Amino acid sequence: MNNYLQIANAGKLYLIVGLVLAFVVGFCIFFLIRSYRAGISMGMDKKILRRAITSSATFTAIPSISTLLGVLALAGSLGVPVAWLRLSVIGNLQYEATVAQIAAEGLGKTLDSAVLNMSDLVTILLIMTIGIIWSCVFTALFLKPYTKKLAGKKNDGSVKKHGPSFSSIAMVAMFIALCSAFIGNYVADFIVYGAEVPILTAIVSAIVMAIFEYLIKKKGHKGLESFSLALSMVIAMAASVGFAQFFGGM
Amino acid sequence: MKDENEFDYDNYIEKTHTYGTILMVIGIVLLLAVPFLIASVTGSHINWPGFRSGVIKVLLIYIPSSAAEFLIYTPMLGVGSVYLSFLTGNLTNLKLPCAFSSREIAQTQPGTKEDEIIMTLSIATSALVTMLVIALGVALLVPLTPILQNPTLKPAFDNVLPALFGALGYQYFIKDLKLSTFAMVLSVAICIFVPSMIGQTGTMIIVLGAVTLAFAFVIFKATQKKAQSLIDENNSNKDQ
Repeated sequence: MNNYLQIANAGKLYLIVGLVLAFVVGFCIFFLIRSYRAGISMGMDKKILRRAITSSATFTAIPSISTLLGVLALAGSLGVPVAWLRLSVIGNLQYEATVAQIAAEGLGKTLDSAVLNMSDLVTILLIMTIGIIWSCVFTALFLKPYTKKLAGKKNDGSVKKHGPSFSSIAMVAMFIALCSAFIGNYVADFIVYGAEVPILTAIVSAIVMAIFEYLIKKKGHKGLESFSLALSMVIAMAASVGFAQFFGGM
Repeated sequence: MKDENEFDYDNYIEKTHTYGTILMVIGIVLLLAVPFLIASVTGSHINWPGFRSGVIKVLLIYIPSSAAEFLIYTPMLGVGSVYLSFLTGNLTNLKLPCAFSSREIAQTQPGTKEDEIIMTLSIATSALVTMLVIALGVALLVPLTPILQNPTLKPAFDNVLPALFGALGYQYFIKDLKLSTFAMVLSVAICIFVPSMIGQTGTMIIVLGAVTLAFAFVIFKATQKKAQSLIDENNSNKDQ
């Protein structure tokens, strides 16, 4: 293990991350108990309240393994504690991986443990945190007035416009642009510099995802839905090891 | 069944906002403190020029998308669950489906008092279970760390992003082939004609995002115009 990863996986970092996560756990437990008590005070059936808790726990347990695989994927370059924090609070794998890459580029580097150092790591982590924090900032600042406005609209009985809105199309367009930026990069990297492994890895991942989509949508294996992204990634990452050996390293 | 007279729901919501805001602010401060704490215990420092270069690109992309997420998802959730969801993350892929499933089971209607309680219970439980699973996984991961950092496996971790965007690309490209072809051709062309853009994905996301969004808007307007002219035509036929 190189020196950077030794420090990035040091016990002190686990302690710092553990303290933040303990706060978030406390936040969740506080809201859980408060809402349970409120439900009872409102006269809701205890059985329904408990069922909401147990069904949510069982619903979440298996898909959470996918988030864990995300931790595993990021831990190779950012170390386990940072990957653990970033995937437990606010973000998701897609955001964290993308922003970590943009942040590394800003430092003139790549997300590669061989070229990163601890100063890079803390800089990348600060960029990742500042980038993802905005939904929390908006919630802290605007949730109260926004929910009041929404309640007011409901009382007005205002009718929603019919037809597809541009916001849903814009969301898809943004994701298409995001994916094209990366995949276009791998295609050009192959054409210009002959780097085969990234584009081949992306192709394997896309093929595996296509198979999962077929099994989910055409064959009705809905249980695979939560795992399709994580498993496509893990299979493609495993394939990249074979590609790297076949083409004589990257 | 209900005994709402004894329970001041408005006061409960008011206090949820107060506690939620305070805890959210503490959470934000703690998260921002982590890089500085790690820097101080490891003797490293923030690379400010590198930070400025990266953070501008990230903010240009993620402030608008965070605002959109806040505006879109808040009406789907209750008050308490919004505070929890945005702090604990994994919203679209995990928390929302979980909360909607609980809503189905409890048979509550969005916007009701009962729904507020069910959504909060559901999101809080989901967040706690996710954190527990990850913590257990990390505990198992620590002894495996030397194996995971074996040089033979290094290409796997160097190719996390191609693996992610291959799968995500498939999912999104099939949603709109016209838009996807446009964005992909543009992306490859830019990188081939300006090879310095290879590896500059942050800049590419901003450029492609703006152009693809503009192209999507043009298509959207053209489709709307076409649909409107068909409606007008139908109406004039009916009138005749």
